[in-house]
Amino acid sequence: MSEITLITRDGAKLGLAAAPTETVLEAAEAAGLFLPAMCHEGSCGLCAAQVTQGDYALRGGAREAAPDGAIPLCLCMPQSALTVELPYPQSGISHHSVPTRMAEISGISQAGSGAVILTLALRPDPEFGTAADFTPGQYMEVSIPGTEIKRAYSLTNLPNWDGTLEFLIRLQPGGAFSTWLAQTARPGDMLSLRGPVGRFVLDETSPRPRVLVGGGCGFAPLLSMLRHLADFQDMQPTHLIFGANTEAELAVAAPLEDLAAQLPNLTVCCAVWHPEAGWEGFSGTAADALAQYLDGDAGQPDIYLCGPPRLMEAVMRVANERGVPAARIYSEQVQAR
Amino acid sequence: MFCFQCEQTTRGPGGAGCATDKGVCGKDEATADLQDVLIHQLKGIGQYVSRLRGLGVADAPADSFILYGLFTTLTNVNFNRARFVEMIAEAARLRDRLRAAYEAAAKAAGQQPEILAGAAAFAPADNVAGLLAQAKAASVIVGREEVGEDVIGLRALLLYGLKGVAAYAHHAEVLGESRDEIAIGIAHALDVLASNPTDLGGMLEEALALGRLNFKVMETLDAANTGSFGAPSPHAVRTTPVEGKAILISGHDLRDLHELLEATKGTGINVYTHGEMLPAHGYPKLREYPHLAGNYGGAWQNQQVEFAAFPGPIVMTSNCLIEPQPLYRNRIFTSGPVGWPGIRHVANGNYGAVIQAAQALPGFTKTVEGPALTVGFGREAVLGAAGTVVEAVKSGAIRHFFLIGGCDGAAPGRNYFTEFAEQAPDDTMILTLGCGKYRFNSHDFGTIGGLPRLLDIGQCNDSYSALVIATALAGAFNCGVNELPLSLVVSWFEQKAAAVFLTLLALGVRNVRLGPTLPAFLTPAILDILVSQFGVLPITSAEADIEAALAPRIAAE
Repeated sequence: MSEITLITRDGAKLGLAAAPTETVLEAAEAAGLFLPAMCHEGSCGLCAAQVTQGDYALRGGAREAAPDGAIPLCLCMPQSALTVELPYPQSGISHHSVPTRMAEISGISQAGSGAVILTLALRPDPEFGTAADFTPGQYMEVSIPGTEIKRAYSLTNLPNWDGTLEFLIRLQPGGAFSTWLAQTARPGDMLSLRGPVGRFVLDETSPRPRVLVGGGCGFAPLLSMLRHLADFQDMQPTHLIFGANTEAELAVAAPLEDLAAQLPNLTVCCAVWHPEAGWEGFSGTAADALAQYLDGDAGQPDIYLCGPPRLMEAVMRVANERGVPAARIYSEQVQAR
Repeated sequence: MFCFQCEQTTRGPGGAGCATDKGVCGKDEATADLQDVLIHQLKGIGQYVSRLRGLGVADAPADSFILYGLFTTLTNVNFNRARFVEMIAEAARLRDRLRAAYEAAAKAAGQQPEILAGAAAFAPADNVAGLLAQAKAASVIVGREEVGEDVIGLRALLLYGLKGVAAYAHHAEVLGESRDEIAIGIAHALDVLASNPTDLGGMLEEALALGRLNFKVMETLDAANTGSFGAPSPHAVRTTPVEGKAILISGHDLRDLHELLEATKGTGINVYTHGEMLPAHGYPKLREYPHLAGNYGGAWQNQQVEFAAFPGPIVMTSNCLIEPQPLYRNRIFTSGPVGWPGIRHVANGNYGAVIQAAQALPGFTKTVEGPALTVGFGREAVLGAAGTVVEAVKSGAIRHFFLIGGCDGAAPGRNYFTEFAEQAPDDTMILTLGCGKYRFNSHDFGTIGGLPRLLDIGQCNDSYSALVIATALAGAFNCGVNELPLSLVVSWFEQKAAAVFLTLLALGVRNVRLGPTLPAFLTPAILDILVSQFGVLPITSAEADIEAALAPRIAAE
């Protein structure tokens, strides 16, 4: 790894490290620093900066130098310790240092089958105001007041300006957060949150149809994504596979009815692993349902997958066996605690 | 995908053009291909509109759709694939309606209607995969092997110039100004393109005709702007924050700004301009809103830095949008022809969501004092001082005028324009327009005879004003524009600049220095024509070009 020092126009020094095959831009992003960039192929000039010290190689091979000697950081791979002078101030770098916010519980309601909907109201913040700013699919780390106990929960609502955050939480018998939520938490209580975090978000520039696969609490981020698609009147074919162990667990999927009405190209398959007699829907796991779907006329979909480890493994196997490239599978694992 | 319409297009040993899965601008392959399909349909619509006009029938919704449709395909305007799928379906319905109208009108006039083939008969697929498969046949380089690079290059010059003309005409139209001759000219150009022309001389003539049409369009836009908001007059614009909630508005659309100012009246929210919106402060009826607080930031290519740091929502009108960063994705809004997938769009002047965002976000926490930028030297303001200017030239106080303007961009070669302006001798006057001015407008150029040495004419949309000033000066000195002590140094980036460039050629303005690079779609043979017949000059170095411009002119020039 090579040490990189970025010096902003206003003199701030930021340190990071890069592997010999990694560009400065990639290393910065891995460190949570998003530098201005557009084409990512060395053409547009937006990420160009002066390398004042050190050796580097250019991805794709040597090229004619720019008249002012600036190097596109999207191609620049450090081969030694490197000093880079950036042509913009520190405020020009998007810091994804994750915000910490305070919020008040505004509601706790039953969602059926041992799940609750927790609604929070964010307190105004000097940097963010009252905005609940996140990307559908992301999650927040929630701390139990007065303890070190933290749990990560996906947001189920949409970003908004009045500071509302909504979570769908499956209560785990004996779980620390679940016990606190079921027995102690009351509207008006304050919580501390860290977020939003997570890269499990929609690729809205993709022209492909989408398959969303969720099992257990893995439904939560998919619900936010579906709400976003409905909000933007999305027309791309989207197929949701909701995996449940029993029919009773389908209760949390109640919002789907409204969403299906708003998304004419949404199809939904509720897969129940252990159905009661008389169940007319799909019997089997979410992975089984995906196998059946991909074996039909599914096109070349992007797959969004969120669920517990065993479901993830089974679904990945099904997708791999059917030749879905890894780059078209977006996933996030959830762990019941 | 194949696209080489802007200045930053990929240029490699294998030739120019963005041809991978994503353009330099961030436009993905599917969006680029769908734009090609839409352009193909617009040619077909142009065929019918043109024939209807020939029969004396005007179709305002069709005229309007053509302008808007072409505008969405300019560089850095609309990246929203879904929007193009919708527009393609809309274009197909419009074409069907126009075909029926044309056939009825021809019969009513006792004529046998032509059965049109090609673009007019194009049947778009009813699904995205099908449309993408059709795109290859709609590409700007279709038939390159048969007709050759020069034909493709001139067709591209026509198409890209036309896109710029349509964008300016759309700006005028939203302010209520449209002219029959403009609609007729634009439909004619589409009809010409639909015929897949191969005659180089004929195409060059069409390009010049388009340049003349654009002069009319720019005049109309000038009438729309000054008619709506008064004639620009000099005004010092604040460049630092005022404490309080804030909205930033970028792009060129003055109507959007006016609507935003109306919508935010009495809310306590301050509105700041960005990029090409800076000259809005020159208009009396816009700056009379006390909450039009100032200008924030610079040219479009800095938006990822500047928008991320702005403590409120951002409205992007017209060009130039680049990929919104995660830090401000939820608080940037598009309007008019602009779009990005997953970014909220303000329609019908409904700024409710923008205001809500401004009230939720922190805004500026303190007022900061700092330098101002003076804008508002439109044609009326400059010609008002014409007496002083003419005297200064006669006395030798002003040796030369430089018009340094056009679009800015990120490419490193653009520091030429900074150097040019800063190295221009003290007895020269600098006129500027477009966002290229941000390369030097914070520099103190001093004054000549009480007039600032740097006069900001306005947006690139205000090129008409610059031409009126040049023509009036020529009148005062009883000479032609080319005989004036005036040199044009033009930075270009996208298709609005292509339209203005054609206007300069059509008006016979010679010795235009063009940079930072010449358009990739112009072949060596076309460049030869532009250099030999029109005296177009590629830029070299600021020092050499200033020296050449100030050298005594030889008779042949």
